[in-house]
Amino acid sequence: MATDISSATASETVAQWFRRSSALRCTVVLAFLLVFTFLSVKAPGFLSISNFVNILVNNFTILAIVSLGMTLVLLTGGIDLSVGTAMDVGSLLFISLISAHQNFLVAIGGGLLGALATGGFNAVLIGGLRIAPFLATLGTLFIGESVQQLATNGGQPIYLITGTLTPAFGYIGHGTIFGIPFSLCLAVALIVIYYLLTERTSFGRKAVALGANPNVAWYSGARVRCTSGLVYVLSAVTCGAAGIILSATIKAYVPLSGNAYLLDAIGATFIGTTLHSEGRPSVIGTMLGVLLLSIVTNGLLLIGWNFYWQQVGTGVLIFFVLAMSFLGQRLRA
Amino acid sequence: MINHFSATQAKGDPVLTMHGIVKTFGGVRALDGANLEVDTGSIHGLVGQNGAGKSTLIKILAGFHRPDAGSISIRGMHCQHLTPRRVEHLGVHFIHQDRLLVPTFTVAEAMFLGAEPGIGPIPLLNRREMARQATAILRYHFDVRLPGGALISELTPAERQIVQISRALLRDPAILVFDEPTAALVRQEVDRLFEIIRRLRAKGLTTVYISHYLSEIESLCDQVTVLRNGVDVGRINPKSSSTSEIVSLMLNRDIEEMFPKKAVSVGEPVLKLNKLSARGAFIEISLTLHRGEILGLTGLLGSGAKELVKSLFGLVRLQGGTIEIGSDRTEIPSPPSAVAKKLALVPEDRRAHGVALQMSVRENMTLASLGRFARFGFLQLSREKATTNELIRKLSIRTASQTSPVRDLSGGNQQKVVLAKWLSRQSAIYLLDEPTVGVDVGAKVEIYRLIGELAEQGAGILLLSSDLLELLGIADRILVMYRGQLAGEFDPGNSTSADLLSCATGTSTLRTGTETMAPAQRTMLGKDRLG
Amino acid sequence: MEPVATSGGDGFQVNGAVLLRAGSLIGFGLVIGYFALAAPGFLSVGNITNVLEQSAILGVLSFGMTIVMIAGGSNVVTGGIDLSIANNLGLSAAVYAILLKIGQPDVVALGFTLLTGLGIGLLNAIAVVAIGILPLIATLTVMNICAGFELVITQNTVLQASSPLLAVLAGDGPFGIATLAYLLLIVALVLIVVIQYTPFGLRLYAVGGFREAALAAGVSVDWYIATSYILSGICGSIGAVLSVALLSGSSTGSGDMLLSVVATALLGVVFSRRLVPTISGSLLSVLFIGFLINGFQLTNISSYWVNGVEGLLILFAVATTSLVRRIET
Repeated sequence: MATDISSATASETVAQWFRRSSALRCTVVLAFLLVFTFLSVKAPGFLSISNFVNILVNNFTILAIVSLGMTLVLLTGGIDLSVGTAMDVGSLLFISLISAHQNFLVAIGGGLLGALATGGFNAVLIGGLRIAPFLATLGTLFIGESVQQLATNGGQPIYLITGTLTPAFGYIGHGTIFGIPFSLCLAVALIVIYYLLTERTSFGRKAVALGANPNVAWYSGARVRCTSGLVYVLSAVTCGAAGIILSATIKAYVPLSGNAYLLDAIGATFIGTTLHSEGRPSVIGTMLGVLLLSIVTNGLLLIGWNFYWQQVGTGVLIFFVLAMSFLGQRLRA
Repeated sequence: MINHFSATQAKGDPVLTMHGIVKTFGGVRALDGANLEVDTGSIHGLVGQNGAGKSTLIKILAGFHRPDAGSISIRGMHCQHLTPRRVEHLGVHFIHQDRLLVPTFTVAEAMFLGAEPGIGPIPLLNRREMARQATAILRYHFDVRLPGGALISELTPAERQIVQISRALLRDPAILVFDEPTAALVRQEVDRLFEIIRRLRAKGLTTVYISHYLSEIESLCDQVTVLRNGVDVGRINPKSSSTSEIVSLMLNRDIEEMFPKKAVSVGEPVLKLNKLSARGAFIEISLTLHRGEILGLTGLLGSGAKELVKSLFGLVRLQGGTIEIGSDRTEIPSPPSAVAKKLALVPEDRRAHGVALQMSVRENMTLASLGRFARFGFLQLSREKATTNELIRKLSIRTASQTSPVRDLSGGNQQKVVLAKWLSRQSAIYLLDEPTVGVDVGAKVEIYRLIGELAEQGAGILLLSSDLLELLGIADRILVMYRGQLAGEFDPGNSTSADLLSCATGTSTLRTGTETMAPAQRTMLGKDRLG
Repeated sequence: MEPVATSGGDGFQVNGAVLLRAGSLIGFGLVIGYFALAAPGFLSVGNITNVLEQSAILGVLSFGMTIVMIAGGSNVVTGGIDLSIANNLGLSAAVYAILLKIGQPDVVALGFTLLTGLGIGLLNAIAVVAIGILPLIATLTVMNICAGFELVITQNTVLQASSPLLAVLAGDGPFGIATLAYLLLIVALVLIVVIQYTPFGLRLYAVGGFREAALAAGVSVDWYIATSYILSGICGSIGAVLSVALLSGSSTGSGDMLLSVVATALLGVVFSRRLVPTISGSLLSVLFIGFLINGFQLTNISSYWVNGVEGLLILFAVATTSLVRRIET
C-alpha cells in the first residue's frame, strides 16, 4: 500500500537521523571495539605484543597493500578484479628472474614491469575503449590465468633453492629496519603515499570527482579517461609489489594465489566506506577494514575455530557491515 | 478497489475535475490550490510557463505524487490514493515526453506489456494475436504500417509516439493526456498528430493537451486552462479569445524582483558563430558575443537553443559553420577543451551536471581550477581554504561549512557554488543554461547581481532562459530561436515578453493583436517591461 | 490518410546488431569446421553427445546467470549479476553428497539440496532488493559465505556419493546418448519457453530494459528482480545435482567455474538481434566453449589456452556490443 503523508515524514526523520548520525559512520570503529573486546576476553594469547606483530606481519601487510590499490580504483567508481593477476604476474616474473640467476634488482624491476603491463592493459580497455571496469578486469583476470597456466605448465609452483640466494634476497622477506619487518615498513610507506595521493594531490581530487559524478568532473575540464585509466596502472603496480614481497617471504611463486586477496580487499574497502558521511572509500577507512579482518582471522584461530568456519565468519561480518552501509545510503537519499 | 471510490454519477459532469490541489516540495510551493476541469469529449489545453506547476499537476494526476490538499474526481468518481495502476484502471492514459517504451522490445511487445494476451488458459504469449491486434490498431487509427519485427529503438520519435498512443488505445481509455507531444516532431508529423487527436475526439475520447506552442493550442483545443505560480488563472476558449489573452495570463505580473544591472560598456567580440549547424537541432546560426555583454537566448523545447549552447561546450557535434574565440577560429570537441579555452557552462540540471552532490562545497568550488592551488601536483590546502572562504563571502553562499556536502545546500546556493567554480577559474565566456530555475526569489536576485558583476569584469555571457522577464531584465540583447533557426533579435528596452513569446511560439498574429487591444491591456503588457 | 510506409519497410533490416550476430554465428561455424577437419571424430555422434554431457553443468549455471542479467539490465556493474552461483553449486553439491553419505534417500537429499539453492537465492534477493546492496558486492559476499560453508561441510575433501538417481543421471538415455545431454536440452527448452514466450519473461525483459517503463506498465520491478535471484539459486542447486552425478560426488574448486559462467552469459548477447542476454544465446556460448575445449583436447592444444580464449571472447563480446549500441544511437 502507498504511504500516506504522516509516515512520509517519519521516514524523513529517520533519514535525517542517519545522515547526522556519527554512529553509522563509526560502524567500523564500533565493530572494531566490539571484536577487540570480545577477542581479548575469549581468545587466549590475543593480547600480547608478539601476537600483534604476528597479526600485522602475517595477516595485515599483504592485504593492506593490495587494498590500497583497490581503494583508489573504487574511489573513481570502478573496480579491479585483476588485482590477484597483477600480484601473480609480479610474483612470477620476480621468481623466474631470480631462478635464472639474475640480479636481485633486475628481478624486482621485471616483476614490477610485468604488473605495470597488466595495469596498462586494463587502462587501455577502460580508459581507451571505455569498456566497463568490471568486464575489462574480468577479461584480464581470465587472460592472466591462461598466461600463468601456460608459463608454469599447468599450475606448478616455482620454488627457489635457498642456498643459491643472495643475502639481499632474504632481507625482503625477513629483514628488519630498526626491528620492524621490512614488508611492514614498505606497507606503511605505501599507506602514507596513497594517503597523500588521495587526499592532497589534484590527481586524487580528480579521482574523487570521477567517482562522485563523472559528468561534473568532465564538465569541469578534467581529462576523465586519462585519470580513470591511470588508477588501474597504479593499482596493478602496487599489487605487483605485494606479490613480490609475498613470494620473497615464501621463496616461491604459487600460481593463481593472488585471487584469494580479491574478496577481502573489496570487503575491507567497503567496510572503510562507512567512515565517510557520503560512503566514500578512503585509505584510512580501508586500513581499518583490513585491520578488522586481520584481527578477526587471527582471533578466530586463537579461539580454536575451524579454519573453514573462519571464512564463514568473515563473510558474515562483511555482509553485516555492507548491509549497514547500503541501508544508510538508501535512507540518506 | 471499489471501496476507494464513491461514485457520484450525473449527466453532463465533467470527465475530470481536480480541485484545490496543493503540493509543496521541501519548502517550495509548486501548486497553491490549482483547479482543472475538463469537459467530456473535449480537447483541453493546459499551458503555463516553466515553474507554473504544469508538470507537478500532471504527475499528481498520474499518481506519482500525493497532493497535500485537494480532491480529484475522474468520471464522476471521487479518487483517493491514486497510483499509476489505479489511474490507468480508471481510464486515464498518459503519453509521456519520455516515451516510456522499452527500447529492445518490438512494437507489439511494447504495446502489450502489462496486458499480454494468452493462448486460452495457458499463460503463454500469444504473439500472433499481439501482432494481429497491433497491425489492426495501427491501420485503423493511424493508417500506418510498421514492420513486424521493428524494435522501438529503430523507430522515429513520431512512430514511437504512435506506439505510445496505440498502447493507450488498447486499454479503452476515457482520457488521453499528452505531455509536450510535438517537441521532437516535424511539421507533417505534427499535422498528423492533430488529425489523430481530432478523430479520437469524434469517437468520444477526451484529450488533455499540454504544450508550450500556443499556435497549436489555438488551432486544436476547445478549452484552455492557464497555470501561473501554482494556481489556475483562467479557463478560456481559444477560438473566441486571442492568443494574447492567454499570453498575458501566463506571464507573471506581480514581480518584485529587481534586476540590478549597471550600464556596462560592451567591448570587442569575444565569441563569434558563423553559420553553425548541427544535424537535427539547428541550422546556420550566426551571432556575436562581446566582452561585457549579456546576450539573452530563448526558444521552446525543440527550437535548438539548448543544443546551440551545448555545442559551444563540446557536447553536441557540429556539422557546419565556424566558431571564433577572440579572433581565432577554433573547434570545441569536448568539455575539457572548452574549459581550456576559457569557456564555462552552468548546466540546467544542476544536480546531475553542475555539482557533485556528495563532494563538499570546497571540493566542488575548486574542481575546475585545481591548477591554481597545486604545486608539483600537491594541493595547498590553506590556499584552497582561503579562496573558498573568499568566494563563499563574495557570493553570499549559505552553508554550514566549507566541508558540508553540497547536497545539503538549497538550490540557489548550489547554483552559486557552480558559479563560484568558474569564478575561481576566471573564465572569459559564460554559458548559462536556465540559471535561476528552482531557485528562490532572494537567491535569484543575488545571482542576477553576480551575472552583472561578471559582465562588468569583462566576461561575455550567453544566457539561455525561458523566463522572459528575466531576459528582459538583465540582457543587453535577446535572440529568439524557433524550430532550429534564429527567428528574431530584440532590444529589451523596446520589447515586451509578449513579443518574445510570440516569436518563440511562431505566432506572428500577436503583433497585429497588440494594436487592437484595449488600453488597459496594453498598459498591462507595457508593465511587463522594466526600467 | 494514405498508409505511410515507415522506417525499414517490410523487409529485413541490416544493421550493426544483425551483422554482429551473423558474424558470430559464422565464427562459430568456422571454428567447428576447423576442428572437424583437424580432428578426426570431432563430429561423431559420440563426441557431440560427450560435449553436451560435459557442458550440462556449465549450461544450467549459465542459464541462471542469464536470468539475473535479463532482469538486471545491460549495465553489468549497477545491474544484475550473480557471482555466488558457482559456489552455490559447490555448497549444494556438498549438502547433497553428505546427505547421501549418511544414508538419506534420494528424495530427502534432493529436497534439501534444492532448498539450499533456494535459500542462497533468497539471501541474494534480500540483500539486493530489500537492503539495497549493489548486486556485484552482495553476491560477492554471499559467494564467500557459501564457499566457507562448503568447506565446513566437506573439510576441503571430496565427498563420494552414489544413489539410484545419480546412477540414472550419469548413465545413458535413449539412443545411447547421455542423460545429462538430454537434460541440458530439456532445461534449455523449458527456460526458453518461459523466458521468451510467456508474459513473465516479457516483463522480466522490461524490468531490465527500461525500469521506468516497466513501472509505468504496472510491473512490480522489485518482485521480478528478487525472483530472478531465486531462480538463479535454484539453477545452482540443479547444477549441483548434475555435478554430483557426473563426478560421483562433490568436488572442491567449483568456484573456478564462475568465470566461465559469466563469460558464456555475456557472450550470449552477441547471438541476439536485440543485443540482450538470452537463454538460447547462452546455450550457444556454452556449446561453443564446450566444442572449443573438446577440440583443443582432440588436437592436442594445451587446455591452458582456454581461459585466455574465454577472456578474449568476453572482451570481444563487450567491446563489439557497446560499439554497436553506440553507433545505433
